[in-house]
This record gives sequence, structure tokens and C-alpha cells, in this order.
Amino acid sequence: MFTPRRIVGFALIGLILACALLAHWIAPYDPLRSSVAMLSPASAAHFLGTDELGRDVLSRVIYGARTSLAIGSGAALVAMLIGAPVGLMAGYFGGRLDIVTVMLIDLFVALPGLVLALVITVMVGPSLQNLALVLGFVMWPSVARLIRGQVLPIREATFVEAARAAGGSPAWIISQHIWPNTMRVVAAQFAVSVSFAIFTSSSLSFLGLGIPPPTPDWGGMVRAGYDFLAVNPLLSLGPGTAVGLTVLGFYLVGSSVE
Amino acid sequence: MLTVVVRRFLLAIPTMITLTALLFFSLTAILGSPAALMLGQDASPEAIAALNARYGFDRPLYVQYFDWITSAARGDFGRSHTTQQSVAAAILPCILVTLELAALAIVLAAVAAVVTNTLPVGRHTLGPLVVAANLIGITVPNFMLGISLIFVFSVGLGWLPSTGWSPWSLGAFEHLKHMILPVVTLSAYYFGVFSIVYRAEYRDVEKRLFVQAARAKGISRSRVAFRHALPNAILPVITFVGLSMGQLTGGAVVTETLFSMPGIGRLLVSSIASHDFPVMLAIAMMIVVGVVLMNLLADIAYTVANPQIRIH
Repeated sequence: MFTPRRIVGFALIGLILACALLAHWIAPYDPLRSSVAMLSPASAAHFLGTDELGRDVLSRVIYGARTSLAIGSGAALVAMLIGAPVGLMAGYFGGRLDIVTVMLIDLFVALPGLVLALVITVMVGPSLQNLALVLGFVMWPSVARLIRGQVLPIREATFVEAARAAGGSPAWIISQHIWPNTMRVVAAQFAVSVSFAIFTSSSLSFLGLGIPPPTPDWGGMVRAGYDFLAVNPLLSLGPGTAVGLTVLGFYLVGSSVE
Repeated sequence: MLTVVVRRFLLAIPTMITLTALLFFSLTAILGSPAALMLGQDASPEAIAALNARYGFDRPLYVQYFDWITSAARGDFGRSHTTQQSVAAAILPCILVTLELAALAIVLAAVAAVVTNTLPVGRHTLGPLVVAANLIGITVPNFMLGISLIFVFSVGLGWLPSTGWSPWSLGAFEHLKHMILPVVTLSAYYFGVFSIVYRAEYRDVEKRLFVQAARAKGISRSRVAFRHALPNAILPVITFVGLSMGQLTGGAVVTETLFSMPGIGRLLVSSIASHDFPVMLAIAMMIVVGVVLMNLLADIAYTVANPQIRIH
């Protein structure tokens, strides 16, 4: 139950969650307030220094947790909402529905997620809701494929046969007997989806297609700080480390279930 | 054998047509008229209509798609809206840059994954380090890893150039010096993925009787590891290499942008930024077709390497 991987993973997620929820109390400064102390190095007053507009980098990193978690969990939720019903139905009913679904899934899974997200984000414009929708749309095929694979053996189990013999409707069997048995894997996949969404959305932000400024956003901060790498490396490395630790936390939790 | 290859290839054709059509329709439909996109928000409806007529954007979408595909098959991808240069001429030199970067990164990742997980020495000291490096590779985004490397090796130590690219014509040494950091950055993720796949297989093979027999005969540990166990554990890595070649484009986009390399990924980002529709479309289409082809190659390679699955 509590493997070292999971303990570290949950600890990291807890830390990020605390930052997001308690940002207002933890952050030493207002993340949007600029000052004349531009590009100052790390000091006791500013642990990570200030950026090119004189904003406190640490406060922006703490508030950035909100953006990342919102996009990550939003996207994972969207992927589940599309992928779970599709996977459950394809796996349970089989036949032609299954063949068509698998073809569709194979079609999408092969495409590079980042490039797909890049192209769609250009079409719909970057905003928090849009990014969550786009990344959810990019990820749903892998969710559907995983759940379909889980359903196949459960469908043949004796308790499902008994439910069918008792005259249960497909909707009742799927929701009462099959869905609960996939929960373990679904939960793990949710965590992996969050980590992938945060990984990809921060890459999009880095490419200039993320949440528009001035909202604190890790990928965008790394990009902005890159120009001042020789002046204050923490401008880039601070938010970059935050991305890495968050992705690591969700990945460790998600990958600990096989 | 030949029939298998031909059949797989024929099966890939509808996939490619579906994907390119989907991409074409969604790009043109959701983006709105490319003319409106080029002229910006303040353009008058007349100007948009005129440009639409000039480039043929007012024709039905399926006609435009068919037109695009048939010209593309002849190597004509239209002209860039911003530079008026032919798209094919703009893309061609970029492809080589990206291919070289991707190929080097994949080779480095595969070799590093296989060697670090095969080495029979110091499993208890080296093993956890390799696992940690794999986790870093998988979870730290390309841009963060790249910037950290630039910070250490360029800004800090001054050993390697931070960004930029140098063509082969200016000397192989200079070229390779510029390639080191991008290649390492791009390969990290695949090093992690390949390691996980290979390690699981290798641990399995190690327990098999022929490996134990080889060891019992008194053959040296490293010879057993590299000559007996390795060849039997490497097949899943080969499959994964093929499957990840397509996915690699995503990482290449970020890596090329970070290191200012004149590759296809950076061209895609800049065409998006300048609303250059023909270039954007050509690159997106090329990536889609490339991914399908690479998966096809991986499929065929796997079939060739493993006769057991040739039944169907």
C-alpha cells in the first residue's frame, strides 16, 4: 500500500495542493504587483529574486500551482468524461462498435500529443478552459483504450454473467458491476493524465501558446526568465523545478498501480 | 514476407487519408477563412473576399483538400503567405536538421538505456542512479532540462555554445559541438522510457536457463550479460524505437525552439505565430504522414524480427 514511490508522490502532490489552496496566505507578495526592484537576485526579502517587472518570483511560483493544477485536473477530467463511456461501451458490447472504436483510438493514439495540442490551441485560442478541453481531447483515446482493456476480462467474469442472467440491463451491469471494478486503474490513469497534461501545457506555455499574461504560469515564466539566465537563473529554474516536481508527483502515484 | 509488407502498407493508406482529411477540414473550418487570418481583425469583408477568391479559399472544402493533396503529391505545397517563398523550399532544409536531431537522440537514448541496464557491475550502486535518471528523464519537461543544461555547460562552465546551430559546411567539430546539448535534451525522455521497457525484459531473460548455463560454464559476467542476455532482451526496445519516432516530433518542437535550431519544429511554431497557413498545414500534414509511416515501419520490422507473429 505505502511503497516509497507512493509516499514521495503523495507528499509532492500534497505540497503543490497546499501551495494552490493556501497561496493567498503563503505567498509573501502579491504575484501581480510590480516594483522598481527589477531583476534583483535572490535575497532574504525575495527568496527567488524578482523578474523583469519587479514581481516576486517565489510568489508567482506559488500562485502558478493554481494554474497548473486547474489545467491538469480539468484536462484529466475531460479525458475521463469522454474516454470512460467510450471504453466501457466498446469493451462491454464488443462487435462492430468495438472494431470501429479501436480503429478510431489507434488513429489518435499514434499522433504526437504536443503537436496536436499546439495546432488545436491555435484554432481555439489559449485560455484556461480551452487548454483543459484541448488536452482532455488529446488524451481521451489512451483512457478509452485502457478502460476497454480492463472491461474485456471483467465482462466474462461469473458475477457479470449472473447479473445478466438475473435480467439486468446493460446500463445497470456496466454502472454497478463493471465500472466499480475498473476504479483502481482509472484512478491511476487519472494521475498519469494529470501529469501528462501539466507536462504538455507547460510546454505549450513555453512555446508562447499558454495562459496569456499576467496570470502566473510556470511554462511562461520559464520562457520569460530564459532571457535573463546569466543575470538570475532562478527566474527560469524556479518555476521549471516546480513543473518537474509536480509532474513527478502525479507520475509516481499513477505509475505505482499496474 | 512481401505480401505482409504490401498488406500493411495498403492498410496504412486509408488511415493516412482519414487523418490528413480530418486535419485539413478541422484546420480550415475552425480557423475560419485563412484570408481573414492573414489580413487580421480590421480587414474589410471585401478584401477578405478578394483574397479568398485569389487563393481559391471560397471553393468547397473537399475540392480544396483534393487540390492540396494532388499538388502535394507532386511536391508543390503552395507558397508561404509571409515570405512568398515556396513552402517545399522552406521546409526541405529544415527536415534534415530535425531528422538528424531526432535520429541522434534516439540512438543515444537506446544505447544508453541498453548499456546502463546491462552492465553487470555495481548493480546496487549504479541501479538506483539509473532509475533516478530515468524518472528525471520522463518527468522533467524538455525545456526545463535544456535550460538547466545551458545554465551548467554554457553559462556556468562555458564549455558548449548555449544556442544556435552550425551547418556541416562550417566544420564537423563546430557542428557537433552545437548538437550535444539539444541531442541530450531530446533523448532524456526516451532514455527513461526505453530503460523501463528494457529493464523489465532483461530481468526476465536473466532468470532463464540458458543464461544460468552460460554463467555456470564459467563465461565472464560481462560476456554473459552482453552476448547472451542482451540480444534476447532487446526486441521490445526496437519496437519502442519505431513507435516513438513519431512522438519525437513533439519534443523536437520544444528542443528546436529552445536552442534556436532551424528545424521543422521551430518552423511550425513560427508559422503559427505569423499565421502562415500554408506552412502550418504542410508541416502538420507531414508530421501526420511521417508518424503513420514510422508506425508502419516499426510494425514491419517487428514482423521481420519475430516470425511467431507472421501467422495472420
